[in-house]
Amino acid sequence: MSVAATAVTLLIGLPLAWLLSHRRFPGRDLLEAFVVLPLILPPTVLGYYLLLMIGRQGPIGAALAAAGIEIAFTWRAAVIAAAVGSIALVIKAAQAGFESVDRRLEQAARTLGRSEWSIFWSVTLPLAWRAVLAGTVLAFCRAMGEFGITLMVAGSIPGRTQTLPLAIYDRVQANQMTEANALALIAIGVVVVLVFGVSRLARLRY
Amino acid sequence: MLALSIEKRLPGFTLDVRWETEERVAALFGPSGAGKTLTLQCLAGLLRPDRGRIVLDGRVLFDSEAGIDVPSRARRLGYVFQGYALFPHLTVGENLGFGLRDRPRAERARRVAEVVERLELGGLDRRYPRELSGGQQQRVALGRALAIDPDLVLLDEPLSALDAPLRAQLRGELGQTLREWGKATVLVTHDFAEAYRLGDRIVVYDAGRVIQSAPRSELLWQPASETVARIMGIRNILRGTVIKATPDRIQLRWRGLTLEAVNSPTRAYLPQPEMPIAFFIRPEYVRLIRKDRGEPDPGHHMNLMSGRVVAEADFGTTVALMVRLDEPGPAAQGEYDLEVEVPRLVYEILEIDRDRHWQLSIHRGSIQVLPA
Repeated sequence: MSVAATAVTLLIGLPLAWLLSHRRFPGRDLLEAFVVLPLILPPTVLGYYLLLMIGRQGPIGAALAAAGIEIAFTWRAAVIAAAVGSIALVIKAAQAGFESVDRRLEQAARTLGRSEWSIFWSVTLPLAWRAVLAGTVLAFCRAMGEFGITLMVAGSIPGRTQTLPLAIYDRVQANQMTEANALALIAIGVVVVLVFGVSRLARLRY
Repeated sequence: MLALSIEKRLPGFTLDVRWETEERVAALFGPSGAGKTLTLQCLAGLLRPDRGRIVLDGRVLFDSEAGIDVPSRARRLGYVFQGYALFPHLTVGENLGFGLRDRPRAERARRVAEVVERLELGGLDRRYPRELSGGQQQRVALGRALAIDPDLVLLDEPLSALDAPLRAQLRGELGQTLREWGKATVLVTHDFAEAYRLGDRIVVYDAGRVIQSAPRSELLWQPASETVARIMGIRNILRGTVIKATPDRIQLRWRGLTLEAVNSPTRAYLPQPEMPIAFFIRPEYVRLIRKDRGEPDPGHHMNLMSGRVVAEADFGTTVALMVRLDEPGPAAQGEYDLEVEVPRLVYEILEIDRDRHWQLSIHRGSIQVLPA
């Protein structure tokens, strides 16, 4: 579920980060402020508004329900919740990475006949990949730990929408400390392995 | 043939230039911040002028009135950036082939091999830019631009990233490479020696405007104004008063002396008597008169004057003598009136270190008048 959420954040976050780092347009500052909202608003507030949007009565939820796709309180909602909670990390890290790429390299590529799309894949991204990777790892960890938004929009249905932190919370509530311990250790293990692996990878030059 | 007129307004700076060139290499010369690089960026389509028109060999690249703005990637210009802007994550071979992606693989390889051979980059194609010397990086940047067979090569301060001895050597190599490839070139530099060595035409920039555009020999001998002369770093720029001007001679008064200078009939500059006038005397064209050859002959030695060496600067192969004239009144350039440059051999033969008082003569062809 966290992998799917991270994929979603990359898919939406990278284009947004490119836009924020390369283009000046009206409303740019507003957009920049908007993308960090998920980081600073209380998760329950975010979850509440998200639920209004994708719930069966919400504009998006109703449209999709008409097409036969249920969102609220399904695994899809859990993915969306995790993505919303973590996308700002990807955007901010990637934006900083893209901005640190020497603008003249992109200009050189342009004079050498390359399209903007080709320049992004052959120059900008290869030179900013460390920042993008760091942001992705943070986003993944954040997605894995997402609690508040998920609870609001996906509930905590065991085996369907119950994520790791929700499961831990449930076990603690039920006083099943051994299981809670095991789950917490799994969470720690995944994060440690990930961060360690990535820092090894980032030592490669390009 | 390149013709361009550009207006671009930026915060705190306005670029407003117009020039054209038939010559193969045009050098944009002027102080930093004069708008030279901005011009290159407009040429390359990286910066959009507010108004203007750019035509290269009959192909319109930009025309604000007709709404034409050919995108960078379609302009076919080989831009060599200041500092080279090589792709650090790609090898030399990948850098050279970067602009050839739409060509068939075999042709790309052939083209890269050709560039490697002609620019003497053999054996380096698997290296990364950070593993190259400054001179090699410069050749890779040039090769990357030439590989796409551009209609025009743009060079932004191609030598400024190098240290002095290497710069002098590479200046020669760069000139030869440009000749061999026969590509029309626009070069940006703030070093007059570089502009003169590499440029067939020199376009002088100052504060966002072109103050002179001329073939290089004409610029050297006929700067259009005192500003141009100062930017070129010409020494002995002096101010006098006109006595009489004809199409081929100008008589002027300076420091109580009457000097005779040549005028240029083509320029038709005829200032009125008593007008202030700027002129310059090249230090290497002032002659010292030997004391062992009898009295100077006024028919042979023009513009005679005498003075004392009050200071000197040793440049190794030449020595600059700061001479204060015997005429009364304040000196023209602070402590001295005239800078005179003599070869070291002359300095030693005449024992100038011991003998400080000299008669000087200046041929009228060596006094250049600067139109106001």
